[in-house]
Amino acid sequence: MIVNSCAAALLATALLAAHAAAADAPAVTHYVLDPARSSLEFNFLQAGAQNKGRFRTLQVSLDFSSENLAASRLDVTIETNSVDTGDQERDDTLRSADLLAVTKFPQAHFAAAKIERTAAGYDAIGKLTVRGVTRDAHIPFTFKAATENGAPAGYMSGKTSLRRLDYGVGQGDWKATDQVGNDVGVSFALRLAAH
Amino acid sequence: MPLRNTRHRWGVLSQLFHWLIVALVIVQVTLASLADDLPPGAKKLALLARHKSVGITILMLVILRLSWRSLNLTPLLPTTLKPYERLLARFTHAALYVLLFAMPLSGWTMSSARGFPVSWFGFFTLPDLVPKNKSLYAALLTTHEALAWVLAAVVALHVAAALKHHFMLRDDVLRRMLPFTTTRQGPRA
Repeated sequence: MIVNSCAAALLATALLAAHAAAADAPAVTHYVLDPARSSLEFNFLQAGAQNKGRFRTLQVSLDFSSENLAASRLDVTIETNSVDTGDQERDDTLRSADLLAVTKFPQAHFAAAKIERTAAGYDAIGKLTVRGVTRDAHIPFTFKAATENGAPAGYMSGKTSLRRLDYGVGQGDWKATDQVGNDVGVSFALRLAAH
Repeated sequence: MPLRNTRHRWGVLSQLFHWLIVALVIVQVTLASLADDLPPGAKKLALLARHKSVGITILMLVILRLSWRSLNLTPLLPTTLKPYERLLARFTHAALYVLLFAMPLSGWTMSSARGFPVSWFGFFTLPDLVPKNKSLYAALLTTHEALAWVLAAVVALHVAAALKHHFMLRDDVLRRMLPFTTTRQGPRA
């Protein structure tokens, strides 16, 4: 009984302390994408050579404070139809059912409720959904806060890679990786505006 | 069999270059026509990747072949040829060499203009010859295909001439490009 009440008191103190800490922590800033000054690119091996593409349309929502990572969140939605490799025929092929299947899966999505500090910057840890397949993923990034024209802004960039077949991007003949590699590099340089 | 050419017969290395390129050109025509029949897709991509790699191989072989030719004697044309036949023979051979350069170069340039870098069997990537340019790509595609027909016509002339020399004129012109044959002039090879 005494032990129980001691535990209860300790728990109450801990909860109060946690609450106080949350209240003291700096508020996170809510950022959205400045699409005109942002890019999300990918590269892939096609017929033995590196090729590049990008997604033209995406939405980013970032709640971030380097002083309050516990309350920081990242949410990215990519319109798969906006794929652009600079080649109409290739883009149409990428949009088709065996690859990105943009009609059935118009969006790819990354949501991270956990952001950790790393030696190089930060790591957003969450779930990536591509072509209807959701997997654990983490995206390393750097973040530089700035004040531009009196308004807070942020520059977020990073690089990662994923395996397209993990997400079923490549059905039928496209499952083969000899002509189109499984590894897809992703790099992004985003300008975010406080909202 | 002598490695080098003589005045009367092609050496082993020249014969090897000749027949290797013949075989690879046949491979090229096969790959291109198979790819032509396919809709865009992984199979077409694979065939065209192979076509580009083989094309670059031919380009490298033609460079080696011409270098070797320049370091060697060139077998003489038969003395029985009329002046216009001599001219025609020279023209045909020159055209074949020019086309063996023009085919891979137009293909490589076309791929660069399309924005697709050319890889040699995945071992290395060749530099782009021109920046990406849609209308240049379209023009080069037409050129590459037209040159293929010109090559087919010149090859037909070349083969017809070789067969005429062998079966009608009964001279050594074809035989001296064939391994394991005896020519009437010069040493056995």
